[in-house]
Amino acid sequence: MSAITLRDILINARQETVQMRHFYLGVEHLFIALLQIQGGLTTSILQEYGLTPEYVIEAIRRKANRGSAQRLWVGIPYTPRAELVLDIAKEFALEEKREEPSERDLLSAIIAESDNLPTRVLMALGVDLGRLAQAARTYTPATEAQPPDIAVIFGPDFDRNETIEREHLFILRRMFAAYPRIRVERRLTGFRKALILVVTPIQADEREAASVVAKIDFTDNILDEVQRYETHIKSALPLQAARLEDPPTAPESSELAGIKYTLVASSGSTPLDLRLRVQTVGVDDLGMLLKRELYERFGKNWWQQNRLFRFQVWTEYDWLLPPILTLDLMEDTEPPPNVCVLRIPFNRARVKDRLGRLQTGDTVVLENFAVQRVDQSANLLKLAIGYGGEADKRAYQIDVRGFDFTKTSFYRGEIVDRLIGRVWKTRADALLEAARDLEPDFDLRNKWLLVGRERILNPLLAYEDLLDRHISGSQSKIHGDLHLGNVLIGPSGSMWLIDFGHTRDGHALFDWATFEVSLLGDAVILGLEDSWKTAREILQLMMALNAQALPNQPDNPLIKVLQTVVAIREIVHDCLTIPDQWEEYYISLALCALRAIMWKTMSRGGRRLMFLLAGLMALEARKPTSAPDGLTPSPDEPDATAIPSASTPRTDVFHNSTPAEHLPKGSSKSQQRQKSWPPDLPSDEK
Amino acid sequence: MNLRLNVTIMSGVEDGQHLDYSADNGDGQFDGDKWTISIGRREDRDIWLRHDIYVSRQHAYLHCQNDLWSLEDCDSTNGTFIEDNNKDEAVAGTIAIMPGILFRVGRTWLRIDPLE
Repeated sequence: MSAITLRDILINARQETVQMRHFYLGVEHLFIALLQIQGGLTTSILQEYGLTPEYVIEAIRRKANRGSAQRLWVGIPYTPRAELVLDIAKEFALEEKREEPSERDLLSAIIAESDNLPTRVLMALGVDLGRLAQAARTYTPATEAQPPDIAVIFGPDFDRNETIEREHLFILRRMFAAYPRIRVERRLTGFRKALILVVTPIQADEREAASVVAKIDFTDNILDEVQRYETHIKSALPLQAARLEDPPTAPESSELAGIKYTLVASSGSTPLDLRLRVQTVGVDDLGMLLKRELYERFGKNWWQQNRLFRFQVWTEYDWLLPPILTLDLMEDTEPPPNVCVLRIPFNRARVKDRLGRLQTGDTVVLENFAVQRVDQSANLLKLAIGYGGEADKRAYQIDVRGFDFTKTSFYRGEIVDRLIGRVWKTRADALLEAARDLEPDFDLRNKWLLVGRERILNPLLAYEDLLDRHISGSQSKIHGDLHLGNVLIGPSGSMWLIDFGHTRDGHALFDWATFEVSLLGDAVILGLEDSWKTAREILQLMMALNAQALPNQPDNPLIKVLQTVVAIREIVHDCLTIPDQWEEYYISLALCALRAIMWKTMSRGGRRLMFLLAGLMALEARKPTSAPDGLTPSPDEPDATAIPSASTPRTDVFHNSTPAEHLPKGSSKSQQRQKSWPPDLPSDEK
Repeated sequence: MNLRLNVTIMSGVEDGQHLDYSADNGDGQFDGDKWTISIGRREDRDIWLRHDIYVSRQHAYLHCQNDLWSLEDCDSTNGTFIEDNNKDEAVAGTIAIMPGILFRVGRTWLRIDPLE
């Protein structure tokens, strides 16, 4: 380590400033240079906070922003602050009678100056500067700590057909380094590289510690999840909850990292996620438990926050759908004249028109899009209109393929001035492909689809209009990915939420729409024949359910399962912004269902049901909004859904806004549908 | 009463630069009630940010009235922002600003420092 000289560090810092097109040498470049020393003091210390050098470098680059090619001065001058920091470092060196500052001196100087960009970023990442300064002075990197050989055994509930990859096992052993043995009880749902396990650590004297939920995923995802937990969740959890208590385990040598959720107030026996529970135990009392254990306990700080929130649907829901475009990168070419240019900020209506005309092979110029993710292995750049976890920043996702990341580098959050690409796939193509995979027995070009004697909309042709709608809804803290796999249930019925990787402030009903979709697609459909006939049968029951006319057949297992959906609707009813105005939920549900047809993890039967559900909810969502008779209907009219004043009788809301023009001819649906839910609930209960 | 203002540049090539202004020295505009300091890329601005091409010629004003500071964006091309909970919030019109809070004009972060 002592082999690293100040000269080496300054060379790295200069490379960084040129790469970022800053052309000045600031403290941020010095600090990034320190982070680039492999096995160095700075990286080792941050490792103890569970932070990887790459993650911190990205955060600093994001804060510093890439500069422009235009240079307004000559050479690479030091900033006044960098000069100050270097002076402090020299003093530290002199105190120890060394001529030249070392990595340690420079790191200590940066922390001591404390007013610079890197320390501001570290504080935002939850690093305690006092402790960091202490560590910088005293830390001696341990002789490469050999991960102890922890025995991993598997409990009887672990599915023997599942294997855990080596890399995951490596992280798992690191996470439980304090124990000689761990028992993997079961695998909970997890997608892609993400793995979620229930693990019981066993101490040397054979005593078993309480089970924890271990999540292993790509380092960026894990560290982002920790950040979200710190900012959104920590202060808003009920007493009994899954908590993150240790820093993440993020070894430098792996692209994966892990975190442990401690289940506070767990009774000892291992919990199940709801998906497993539905498969093994069924859904008997699930509705009641959801209301009592989840909604009532978490609700106050979460879905019941009820901050008035008026938004255009796309800002909260566009990101759910497949990328609006997938492009093949065109390098070093001048675009032909009259080419389609998408420049942020843009006017949605104009862009929509331009996007609508794009076809495979067309050239597109992107300007000022932000990098959401760099997928090194697929040579793919995921762009959107902004950066971050908020839904509106993730809208208008565009994937660009064909990068050589050894030549050009990007950081998450970077605003890319200009990129040129050729259209490979549009969103419509992607959705159509997913729909074809369901082997429809009807024509996907039809505007209307027949289910029994009722007609529903073709969701492929209806979703654009939904995205244009305006909702007067409410905003709250939401989980962001509330499917059956992310709710754990203990033997006594207690529930914990896990996986806060998508938690944010957003449309309060989004979580319940996600949950209903998961319930229908994963649980209701379970064990039924995988056919369009089944999907249509369930959809007809959903029509009845929407109309609060579910047949009373206690022996019908399907009706029994749907009682859980009824319970969700009761929760939703409690969260509706305008009492009994279901439109905001129906729109949410339509788009969540449409998204689910892309999910390869859902059975085909489930996805078929999702397709039909999206069409039904798109139709239901149309009803309450329109201009009164005699006026030109305008789907974009924002005030059509305005919140009525207190003096407006509720029935007027529906009456005024029942859209004669928008209803399909021959529809037998009546206004009855919009009665309160459940029918016997006093309307002023809220 | 002598009106004074200390500002530190918090990013870019001039990161760490301290700037001191005083009404007695003729800095800014004083109209008997309100002291105004201008920020922009034009040479005659009080806070002259010559090195940031994202700064408009006349970008923003800092106003001091009754010992309270406010920040006004002058319809600048790239906007004025204030750091709020680690997010940049765009300034529309005039907002109150406390010493110690970071704000950004174009791509340059600035901070009003408390007077010693």
